[in-house]
Amino acid sequence: MLDIDNLTLGFGGAPVLCEARLTLLRGQRLLVCGAAGSGKTSLLSVAAGLIPRLVAVPELSGNATLDGQPLGSVARQALFRRIGFIGQNLEDQLWDLCVEDVIAFPLENRGIARSEIRARLERLITGFGLSALSGRRVLTLSGGERRMVAVAAALAAGPDFLVMDEPTTGLDPAARRRLCHILDQAAQEVPTLLIADQDAVSLLPVIDSLALLQGGKLSTPQPPADCLENHAIWEEAGLLPPMRRRRLAPASAIGRPLLAVSGLVTRLARAGGDPVLKDVTFDIRAGEVVALIGRNGAGKTTLFKAMLGLTKAAGGTIALDGAAADRWTVAARARKLAYIPQNMRHILFNMSVIGEVIFAITASTARSADPAIVEKARAALARYDLGSLEEANPFALSVRQQGLLGLACADAAGALVAIIDEPLLARDLHGRAMLERFIAAMRDTGRAVMLISHDLELVDDLASRLMLLDQGRIAYDGPLAEGWRSPAFTALSWPAPYADMPEEAA
Amino acid sequence: MSWLHDLNFFAKLALAFAVMTAAWLAPGWQAGIAFALICVLLLWLLRVPGVAGYTKGAALLTAMVMASWLLNLTLQGLPLSQALPVAAAMAARLVATTAAFYFVMETSTPGAILAASSAARLPSLVTLVLSLTFGVIPMLRADFERIADAQRARGMEIDDVGLPSRLRFALARGVPLLVQAIRMAHAISFSLSLYGYDLAQKRTTWRQVGLMVEPRLKIKDQADAK
Repeated sequence: MLDIDNLTLGFGGAPVLCEARLTLLRGQRLLVCGAAGSGKTSLLSVAAGLIPRLVAVPELSGNATLDGQPLGSVARQALFRRIGFIGQNLEDQLWDLCVEDVIAFPLENRGIARSEIRARLERLITGFGLSALSGRRVLTLSGGERRMVAVAAALAAGPDFLVMDEPTTGLDPAARRRLCHILDQAAQEVPTLLIADQDAVSLLPVIDSLALLQGGKLSTPQPPADCLENHAIWEEAGLLPPMRRRRLAPASAIGRPLLAVSGLVTRLARAGGDPVLKDVTFDIRAGEVVALIGRNGAGKTTLFKAMLGLTKAAGGTIALDGAAADRWTVAARARKLAYIPQNMRHILFNMSVIGEVIFAITASTARSADPAIVEKARAALARYDLGSLEEANPFALSVRQQGLLGLACADAAGALVAIIDEPLLARDLHGRAMLERFIAAMRDTGRAVMLISHDLELVDDLASRLMLLDQGRIAYDGPLAEGWRSPAFTALSWPAPYADMPEEAA
Repeated sequence: MSWLHDLNFFAKLALAFAVMTAAWLAPGWQAGIAFALICVLLLWLLRVPGVAGYTKGAALLTAMVMASWLLNLTLQGLPLSQALPVAAAMAARLVATTAAFYFVMETSTPGAILAASSAARLPSLVTLVLSLTFGVIPMLRADFERIADAQRARGMEIDDVGLPSRLRFALARGVPLLVQAIRMAHAISFSLSLYGYDLAQKRTTWRQVGLMVEPRLKIKDQADAK
């Protein structure tokens, strides 16, 4: 069906893909795994016809054909009618439309009759469990909710095959299961899938072959069962082996409370009038790595916004380093609480990488004449492998590099607690090492980390305490091992991390 | 009265032009000011998003228009007692006009404009231009606020400072806003290509469109929620 031969692709430096080959047969469901920066997105962009049609690249050679016809010769409308694409960064393909508009958009553009569009819309919204989001503007949804809407939009158009880049990003375990179920159900209409993701285990129910991308080349696709247990090939590709053993996190000394939240109630309410957060109480102490988990849309983002003061509180108190911070401005709180979002683009606004770090240190300017500040910024960049990029524009960095920049900024800023929201860079070996370096630096200097993630293995590997947010309250707060067995966690119907896997010492 | 937000975009547009015409034809400055105040009051009653910000902007606009007209007329030799009503009438007309179009812009989502235009069987190019012209300003305003929140969330004190510093910080948001506007234009263009927006093809819409535009799909079985 799709054949890519001898593909070499580069962005000016060394080629990202080098004489790569990919053959996708009709009905095949192929998962491509690779470390960040290995070229997964580039490969998928060529497969989906985005490169070079919509995205120009400096270096491109090789052939890509769809049913024997060169992709470049297929008319644009016909091409994107046949191929459904869901990118990793959904903000690149969504704009300010409501949920129904996004899903119906491809059908409306074809001039399909209203009754038919409405029937299909209703079926998809019901099937995806999106009824509660009906009428909401898509850019106001959580990351996981947006992703489900984008998948629904891709399926609405009835493509021949789907190309999905990191589809599990931002999805909680239940949503991942629902996604697999939906793709399985849609197999009659859309039997062919090309997926790039680092979470092979979650996607096992919908794939029949797996290939690893490494050194610019794609390995020969194999049945997943043949390679999942082979730790060596995953590590060679720079990835965490999916069937690895549980690793016990090292214990560390716990110190004074750095952040204390008590009885927090938000003004922000759900459609029914219930506050998003009703009565949230917890504290975070020096040396702790506290993981916060919860369903998509449970209010995790609202919680950190309320802690920073970006969302108004209707009640409750917040103390930072023992001082009541309720009347502090957002900026004053932010000097104690560093926030590293999943999408760093949301908080970047300076014009150079070093400018971002200097701004993190000074909280007022991106330039400094003070050699000590500049040196501190440079040291932070070097610590996270960004030393060679200090004059680059932050918006020109890859998603992974932007994530590392977030760590460098939070580290250099000296905030007491760093809130890390779904650190995607931690899904491969190098990124995980960088995150561990950051956590160690925070702990060693008497600070703490709050880790918000749906990646339960990551939580289990790195956190020293688990908090579960459900129904606007902290439904569980305590040790991890007990947390995975708690009624609150059981109620989520999520699989516990490393179930049936033996432990190994850190 | 927030159901009025769901009025057909073209009905809103016609209403806004009618308000503008009435404002400019108002007999005397007293009637003009009363009309402008009613328009601003209506924005509050209709719970139009961002109305507090609009009111501040309207106050600034009034001050600037009054000052420039007073200066101009005084330089031409008109006494202040005669210049003042002229300046006030001019400011009132502008406030009423901006209030009317602010209502159109803030309550018309790009999706609702697309639907109204598609139902009117307008060419795709006109549909797109209307959606972007009226839709992009609230999007940029939201981005402007998001950048301010990002600055606050990174420790930049932009609230507990004097007005000159606030204005300076607001101006400093111009460059990231420009970057964001380019990104937004790219996302819209990418989305149009990916989802098959064709300038040669007349579109349809999933919404029921009449005097009102359906804001959301009413699903028969709501039991699937979550």
